[in-house]
Amino acid sequence: MKAVGARLPRYDGVAHATGRTVFVDDVRIPGALWVKALRSPVHRADITGLDVSKAEAMKGVRAVITWQDVPLLEYGHLSALGIPADEPLLAKDEVRYKGQPIALVAADDEDTAMAAVEAIEIDFDEKPALLDVRQAFDPDAPVIHQWGNWYPHFEAEMDRRQIRKGDIDRAFEQADVIVQGVYRPAAIEHVPVETQSCQVVPEANGRLTIYSCTQALYFSLGVVAAHLQVPLNKLKLVGGTVGGGFGGKVDTATETMCCLLAQKSGRPVRWRWTREEEFLCSSTRAPWHMEIADAVTNDGWILGRRMLTLHDSGAYARFSPYGLTKHSFHHTGAYTIPNLHFDGYVVFTNRVPTTAMRGFGVTSISFATETHMSRIADVLGLDPWEIRLKNANRIADTSPNGVSYTDPSTVSVVKALAEGIGVELSAALRAMTRDPREGDLLPEHLVAQVGSLEEVH
Amino acid sequence: MAVHKGRGIAAIEYPTGMNQNGDPSQAWIKVKPDGRVDVFAGTSDIGNGSKTIQSQIVAETIGVPYDWITYDNSNTDSSPVCTGTFASRATFVAGKAVEKAALKVREKILEIAGKELEIDPSDLEIADGEVTAKGAPQKKISVADVAAAATWGHGELITGTGAQLKPYATIVDPETGLVDLPPHSAISYASCAAEVEVDDETGVVRVTRLWQCFDVGRALNPTLVEGQIEGGAVQGLGLGVLENCYPYYPSVEHRGAQFGSYLAPSTEDLPQIDTIIVENPSVDGPYGAKGIGEMANNPQPPAIAAAVYDAVGVWVTELPITPERVLRALEAKAEPRREGKLVVFDDELSVNTVSSGGMRFEVPA
Repeated sequence: MKAVGARLPRYDGVAHATGRTVFVDDVRIPGALWVKALRSPVHRADITGLDVSKAEAMKGVRAVITWQDVPLLEYGHLSALGIPADEPLLAKDEVRYKGQPIALVAADDEDTAMAAVEAIEIDFDEKPALLDVRQAFDPDAPVIHQWGNWYPHFEAEMDRRQIRKGDIDRAFEQADVIVQGVYRPAAIEHVPVETQSCQVVPEANGRLTIYSCTQALYFSLGVVAAHLQVPLNKLKLVGGTVGGGFGGKVDTATETMCCLLAQKSGRPVRWRWTREEEFLCSSTRAPWHMEIADAVTNDGWILGRRMLTLHDSGAYARFSPYGLTKHSFHHTGAYTIPNLHFDGYVVFTNRVPTTAMRGFGVTSISFATETHMSRIADVLGLDPWEIRLKNANRIADTSPNGVSYTDPSTVSVVKALAEGIGVELSAALRAMTRDPREGDLLPEHLVAQVGSLEEVH
Repeated sequence: MAVHKGRGIAAIEYPTGMNQNGDPSQAWIKVKPDGRVDVFAGTSDIGNGSKTIQSQIVAETIGVPYDWITYDNSNTDSSPVCTGTFASRATFVAGKAVEKAALKVREKILEIAGKELEIDPSDLEIADGEVTAKGAPQKKISVADVAAAATWGHGELITGTGAQLKPYATIVDPETGLVDLPPHSAISYASCAAEVEVDDETGVVRVTRLWQCFDVGRALNPTLVEGQIEGGAVQGLGLGVLENCYPYYPSVEHRGAQFGSYLAPSTEDLPQIDTIIVENPSVDGPYGAKGIGEMANNPQPPAIAAAVYDAVGVWVTELPITPERVLRALEAKAEPRREGKLVVFDDELSVNTVSSGGMRFEVPA
């Protein structure tokens, strides 16, 4: 029997369906301490005083940690790619978002841990918050990040991600119509059924066993090892079975802090975020601000695109520079647009840092470019199927960053959808394929962008 | 006051593998004395079905039944590197690593079977747990007997490792964004049609039907592919009409802190979903597969936005398309600003309106 292509039962399906799968929080470790976090109650402030002595002195409290307990306080999600770090594991001199962790307590039970968090003395000097990415560049905007209000470390220390292709000015001169619009998809929560959870056991041999719900065992292993400044053999991540991630559990949100508490207390610890923490303090999908102006002809060719993207990163960079780069590489959607002028900025605001989520960087583009496509069709009075098929990626067309497409399927999926919903396409549209452009489908404006066929084959 | 129906479409693409690559996955496989197969890989299964798909790839590649496979991704002591389950890479990138490891195991089984049968390994094939001579199927030995012979007779471990890594694609010109290598493993494509009903009195948008068409390269397990597409559709519906961490973005007030105040899609929101699978095999994915895990929630929001316009004649370009936004748009009935050949929508949302001059979006008329 063939295994590939078969409707075989899910490997772990029965266990999931009968509730027998063991997730992180199902592991029972005798003597494990409860962990609770002191989080920032304000959006932006300087920390002017932090005293944990009363909490530490409470009966049943086994460890309290602050930034002073972290061997390497700042280690970035993209540090392995050489991108500098900006976010402390625990807040040091300032807080930049409501919910930011400042100190953690490990105690004998949940109530004691919560009471100890309450007993931590902290003073803030509250500062004005920056929330609107459109105002981040203004002279009167508060400067909220050590790098300024937008990320300045793209290649060659550029402060934005740029794409330039073809001759954008000529495309706009030649256009019959220029259609312009603004697109703003919202921040959303990952809403995993399993909230962020972790348990850590300090082993007799000095190793730490970390029960983790990470989506990326080895990525998280590297992050924890870097913060703790230990070699990889000192840590064992146990996981691989995740109760919903959708990108939010690429962040290594709990593991390092639990390790520090386990080390300091010498006891196993467990931390399970409440649903409220998951909604309010865990990272979200980013809100995006996108402006598009397309130079189009009356018969539906897209000659050129100007685009500005402001990616709301929240308080720290996390994966946002990666997400914006991916976004820029795909900002023409499923179509070939030969003349491009794209500027994108990762903008810091005083909200919970945003992170990866299903479709990272491109979900926003799909919404913006496809809604814009529908608008263009409407403005020009054209068939929305025709305009899509005409501009569709074809073999040997080139991407925004100059890569020849080898196996594009815009034409296949648009035609299959039309057939599936019973829309009758014209004979000319039905005859379209993904093969390299020729004849009427290779107008003058698309000639220069066609890549080498040798690159394709 | 009435309920209006509308339909909209969208077509999208999405890359497989980490953008710019450089994301390794590795696997190792060993065979027990009765031919049963243990796979060690570091790929987290986040519900996407990677344990299943990678087990299928191993079964297919070696030529043994699926239920002979034990898949272990439980810890970093025994499992080799996997960058992680994100970037739609678990099937394509990590799956390629297990395929490579399985090919080596297959080779070792054939080598030992060749000794047992006294036939050149290149004249042997494996299917359904049996090694047979090509063209002479009566000459055969079971994989179980091969594994036993390896263990007790030849003193060998049947094992294999595999690794997949596409080199990092460098941006060679940050001014233009040009790269020196393709920055993806493959690109997948999808289309979607949404049918909605919009109540012009309440503003409520009900998505009644979604047609979804995905080019998955090759559906390694059609049931799991359909699950990804249907689950993604529901998440896309959430993006389109329901979910928002900041209901009055950019304000941070009124955040939903529980399921009663944050509207994630539930069964009552489910539309009828029709799934169409297209298979244009990828050049180098395992068995022609491409990754579609993430893009499954990308085409619905623009299809829904176009359907709302089709229904009631207003464009709502801030997501989600809530009743409040629909009613405000119906009240405003905004027409685009026309100036020369410019047709400008959404002036009120533009950075040009909101910024006091620090940032502008310049468009020559």
